Amino acid sequence: MTAPPLVEQQDLAPGPRGGARRRPVARRRDHLVAWLLIAPALAYFLVFLLYPALSALYYSFTDWNLRSEASWVGLANYTDLLFDDVKYPHFWKSVGVTLQYTLLSVPMTLVAAMVQALLLNAIRRGSNLFRLLLFLPVVTAEAAVGAIWRWLYDPQYGLINSALGLFGIPGQNWLNTPELVIPALAFIATWQCGISMIIYLAGLKGIPGSIQEAAIIDGAGPWQRFWRVTFPMLRPTTFYLVVTGVIAALQVFGLVYVIFSGSGRSVTGGPEQSGLTYVLHLYLFAFRYDAMGAACAMSFILLVFIMIVTALQFRFLKREAA
Amino acid sequence: MSRGLVRGAVAALLAIGLTACGGGSGGGQGSDKELTFWMYQDRTPQAGQVIEKIRKDFEAANPGVTVKIVKIPKDDYNTKLGSAVASNSAPDAGILDQPLVSKFALDGTIKEVPAGLINEADYYKGALDTNRANGKLYGLPADQTCVALFYNKKLVPTPPKTWDELKQVAAQVHAADPNIAGMNVPKGDGYGGWMFPAIVHGAGGEMVDDAGKKVLFDQPPAVEALQLWVDLLKSSPRQITDSDKPFENGLAAMTITGPYDVPTIRADFPDLDFGVAPLPYKTEPAGNIGGEDSVVFSTSKNADLAWKWLVFLTNPQNNGQLADALGGFPVNVKAQVVAGGPEQAAFLEQLKVAHARPAVPQWIQINDEIIAPAIESALTGKATAQQALADAAAKTRTLLGWNS
Repeated sequence: MTAPPLVEQQDLAPGPRGGARRRPVARRRDHLVAWLLIAPALAYFLVFLLYPALSALYYSFTDWNLRSEASWVGLANYTDLLFDDVKYPHFWKSVGVTLQYTLLSVPMTLVAAMVQALLLNAIRRGSNLFRLLLFLPVVTAEAAVGAIWRWLYDPQYGLINSALGLFGIPGQNWLNTPELVIPALAFIATWQCGISMIIYLAGLKGIPGSIQEAAIIDGAGPWQRFWRVTFPMLRPTTFYLVVTGVIAALQVFGLVYVIFSGSGRSVTGGPEQSGLTYVLHLYLFAFRYDAMGAACAMSFILLVFIMIVTALQFRFLKREAA
Repeated sequence: MSRGLVRGAVAALLAIGLTACGGGSGGGQGSDKELTFWMYQDRTPQAGQVIEKIRKDFEAANPGVTVKIVKIPKDDYNTKLGSAVASNSAPDAGILDQPLVSKFALDGTIKEVPAGLINEADYYKGALDTNRANGKLYGLPADQTCVALFYNKKLVPTPPKTWDELKQVAAQVHAADPNIAGMNVPKGDGYGGWMFPAIVHGAGGEMVDDAGKKVLFDQPPAVEALQLWVDLLKSSPRQITDSDKPFENGLAAMTITGPYDVPTIRADFPDLDFGVAPLPYKTEPAGNIGGEDSVVFSTSKNADLAWKWLVFLTNPQNNGQLADALGGFPVNVKAQVVAGGPEQAAFLEQLKVAHARPAVPQWIQINDEIIAPAIESALTGKATAQQALADAAAKTRTLLGWNS
């Protein structure tokens, strides 16, 4: 954003290639405007994303409670988190909970989204209405979602137990039985699959009708057409949804926080820590147990883990997707 | 035209950003004395008026002094306060959650109460004790609250006084109707962990001896207290009590909770005929304590004035009203309790025998991460009460370095 050097301005003399010569200055002016235009976004990135991230990296090597001076402890936060089960008794538990949640919720979400997208793509009338209805769970406030699902899962009055009762299946105490907590949470995530559904729908619209027609002429039935044409054509979409879905699932926080907090409940992550996801655990150390340094270290362990998982996905899934 | 517009917009944005940053600096400077005080957002409009009146009275009594009260939603309070302290813009004084006092005291964030500021006998002992760390006093209580036994009068005609009666009543209720639980037994979570010491004190025990650096919750009183909850589960299946609001819906005959639930129950369940009684005990009446303390921050330039303000908040004239506005009971023994429902008597009786939680800075973490899981493992039958608490106590000793 410095002033343009005078030397170049003298080159402005009109000549046979005057138009071409004029361009650098015009371009420079465009640059200035361009910088001004992206300045807010850039400032936002630098001030609210990059600077805090770098600070967090620094604090992850310190013992810091937000109030007193941070004291340098080197790698102690990292080694304690990984190996000291007195200081962090539930760290590995939270890792396990999060992995279990990711492995359940991502496939369930994708299947549900795919089925919904196929159904929406098949109907001629009212598809806008159904698209709206299926998308509604995504735009509903998390607090309301939490409250509604607490009622649905209620062991005494819950609709889910009533529905199971119709088939003779005994009612469960969903959110208070350690083994059922993660499946119950994954089911809520599946219900909120609207964004994946919209992306799948866009992918379906992008498959040329001529390919489907050719398959029909070749005598392919609906099942074959799905597995041989639609599904392979959607592979790039599926790949994108798997990668973003895994990243989001590993960071799940809001839903768990809402479900396991509120009047008379505490945020300690459900029965026997069965709903203590990684980021909830991190949040508790940052804001409840005054260990901001350790919380920063946790966030960087998660960052590295997500980068590794994503790299592996690109290595092994993308080739298949291409 | 469009470029001018863009430049103007950018300039305007920058200007807004700069003024926003400029406005954030902390108070406390200026020629006239200004005192900044942070507290939770008002619970009701009436509470706001009470606090406004106390503020005006203080300013009238101290000419040239302005008290600036900053109200912050309770859920964000500790986070905002932490950031303010970290960026050296803490207020002169403020409300502080009880378990945070010992943390803030030991890292020098708050000042010690000056000698001779108050007569300790004017305050409820349990409430005052929540301000101690290393035996020294670091703040004044603002209001206090506690839990007591809520009972459904239709199912429980006379509330139990002792543990044995409690178990009996619970068994009778459940035997009469197997769809109703005798008691909503607390769980092994942070909230249950907060209530547990009240039961332990009722058997004459203590969680820790913080002066002597000894962990005591593996001793018989604590083990018996946990065994009581385990025994109660027999007549109080979780399939019933895990439902939404089991006590309010008449599915659990008794529950343990605090005065903060009374208005909600009255409003949402007007048909529920309930009473409140002190907690049943084994050897001596006892209870726990909650509520807010008020402290002066080390960075305050008007510390003397700040202490004067805190004393003003807790004097007999103001504390009754203030405590009511904050949703608790007065901490000054001479303050008039704002008249409320018939349940008040039980809470006031309970507060006389209240015990402050241990003044250990890591207590919340120990409560959530060690004691709560131990309670849960005993309640689910994965360990006996003795094993669970012995294991938890050993972990706590290691964490605190109290191995002697």
